[in-house]
Amino acid sequence: MAVTTITAGRPKSPRKSSDRHRRGVSRWIILALVTIAALAMLVPFVFMLLNAFKSPGDYSTGGPLSWPSEFYTKGLSNYWHQVNFPLKLWNSLLIAGSVAVLGVVVSLLNAYALGIGRVKGRLWIVGLFLLANMLPQEALIYPLYYAAKQVGLYNTQLSVIIIFTVIQSAFGTYLLASVLSTFPKSVLEAASLDGAGKWTVLWRVVFPNLRPTLAVLLIFFFIWTWNEFLIPLVMLIDNSTQTIPVALASLQGDRLMDAPTTNAGALISLIPAVLFFIIFQRTLSRGITAGAEK
Amino acid sequence: MGRFRKLGVAVALAAIAGTTLAACGSDDGGAAEGSDAKVLKLWHYESENSAMGIAWDKAIEIFKTEHPGVQVTFERKAFEQIQQNAGMIINSDEGPDIMEYNKGNATAGLLSSQGLLTDLTEEATKRGWDKELSPSLQTTARYSDKGVMGEGNWYGVPNYGEYVMVYYNKDLFDKNGIAVPTTYDEFTQAMDKFVAKGITPLAEAGAEYPAGQLFYQLALSKADRSFVDNYQLYKNPVDFKADPLKYGAETFADYVAKGYVSKESASLKAEDMGTAFISGKAPMIVSGSWWYGRFKDEMKANWDSFLFPGNKFSAGSSGNLWVVPTSSKAKSLAYDFIDITMRPEIQALIGNNGGVPVKADASQITDPKNKKLIENFNTVSSQDGLAFYPDWPVPGYYDVLVSGFQSLINGSKTPDQVLDAIAKPYDDGVKEITGK
Repeated sequence: MAVTTITAGRPKSPRKSSDRHRRGVSRWIILALVTIAALAMLVPFVFMLLNAFKSPGDYSTGGPLSWPSEFYTKGLSNYWHQVNFPLKLWNSLLIAGSVAVLGVVVSLLNAYALGIGRVKGRLWIVGLFLLANMLPQEALIYPLYYAAKQVGLYNTQLSVIIIFTVIQSAFGTYLLASVLSTFPKSVLEAASLDGAGKWTVLWRVVFPNLRPTLAVLLIFFFIWTWNEFLIPLVMLIDNSTQTIPVALASLQGDRLMDAPTTNAGALISLIPAVLFFIIFQRTLSRGITAGAEK
Repeated sequence: MGRFRKLGVAVALAAIAGTTLAACGSDDGGAAEGSDAKVLKLWHYESENSAMGIAWDKAIEIFKTEHPGVQVTFERKAFEQIQQNAGMIINSDEGPDIMEYNKGNATAGLLSSQGLLTDLTEEATKRGWDKELSPSLQTTARYSDKGVMGEGNWYGVPNYGEYVMVYYNKDLFDKNGIAVPTTYDEFTQAMDKFVAKGITPLAEAGAEYPAGQLFYQLALSKADRSFVDNYQLYKNPVDFKADPLKYGAETFADYVAKGYVSKESASLKAEDMGTAFISGKAPMIVSGSWWYGRFKDEMKANWDSFLFPGNKFSAGSSGNLWVVPTSSKAKSLAYDFIDITMRPEIQALIGNNGGVPVKADASQITDPKNKKLIENFNTVSSQDGLAFYPDWPVPGYYDVLVSGFQSLINGSKTPDQVLDAIAKPYDDGVKEITGK
């Protein structure tokens, strides 16, 4: 396990307490700024919460800012039943989970070849990956549709999993390849002197060192894929294969919108992602600070 | 580490299991023309408690009793999904056998010109749909081989209609001692009285469709059928600098100048306009029948509607269409289903739930307010007065109109400049479509 703690850069001084007093004012200012920023970020969530428990009539009369006149939970249950939420949740978990794992594996293998294996023209290859990542999905959608139809994967979750594994691992490869190109040569040489093959080096030397970074990638891939809308919308046409963001869109009609139900839906749909984040939050912060060890 | 790997394997396995199951599930074979098909895959995107949703549920029920042994797999879709992907969906084997689809050149017209929709002409004459729908309703059901609506083969069948009217808040009229107008002069007088009392009489929404529809509605007061045909069906070139469009833009500017429409509404959305009316802030709005059900559910004040005074023509059209994709595996079942939706009992169900059925017998409608809605529609429809929507003629015109009338509301452009701004994209678009 990589060292993950960061030690404060300042030397410890014996006059610690007076230091704190001296910095008193600026500390409070920073605290206030952070609080304001945090509150500002919470505002949309507060609105969502407020409107999720409002009846449509209440919303139309009082507007989005008013306090609900009754505690209305029908929006939540309507959304749950209308879209068959447990099924959508499973689909989303399946797709985002598979993509996260597969994406990380593919990224690692690619990056190992590019960053440590030093393949010829790797700069171009990495550039190509980056390009693939930057292409707008709208430009990809028709080719993907025809390809999926040809191989009989249209309207299956597998098509979405494959597409996103490729898209996400393009970014992952780019990132990991640059991380690995700075991997200490001495460690690799020592390993091969001990008789380790390429495969062993990857799993016994490179992988353990990269684990925090990989964990972050895993979480990012999961959340990014979870939030994807366009490709699932196009590729998954049956209600039984759709994901949560697509289900959420089904609440919006041609000319009418149902704001309270949409808010209720957003609230339910948000919970899994928030839970996921809370569970892996430690891994995330560990991974981000992993670079600080050097 | 070990947990990490196990989780990964589990997820990957689950992925494979899930997708193979899905692949097996969707693999149901069917006969070509489909009279012996055992499954009818039906999609629409009306919400469960809307008039159409209720009526079509009933239609499905009737269909099931009349076709024992046929399984109906119904899915409620997202409007967005159908709007964006209908072409891709029905160009595959995974699409439905029958579905609801948007009317208009850019949607049903486009797909029909690509050969993705089944020609329903024969069924329409055989089953009498062509006699049950008025000419202006048929306009959106028929498309030329280039996908231009109005003439040609039948590619869809509408069940319901929609039209633009004036909704008013009775309580606000009573409270301010203002009489409900019946003529156009009384209409403007009533608005003057509201302005004098410091109330903006018309809620508007410059950032979305309502402003363009108000402009069109005003223009239509000086229009005849040939204008509508020219503007919507490209029969002849349209002069934007002459009436009726000139009148529409100038009167609109006049409404803003006189305070009938608030300058602040330039940036408002349709939803804001609707909630302003529901909450009793605005005495009137000019908008479509799609609001009706919502007002009925949510509005506490007394309200009612009347046709835009003095107009023979109103913005409006048939509703969305039932279409049968060329890839449908159960075509004859699909025709049977459409036929059921045209029956009086289903049509009455649409009407009794606040929708506008295409061939309603108003005497079957019990609620007086619903009855009025339908009678007004029948008035417009029977005098061939549905004039469609201003943004229909050319692709992308919606945004042109929105930005045009936004600048008219906030006063950054004169009516003349706005007409110039909206004329060019129209002319270019029409040129592209007709090739002239």
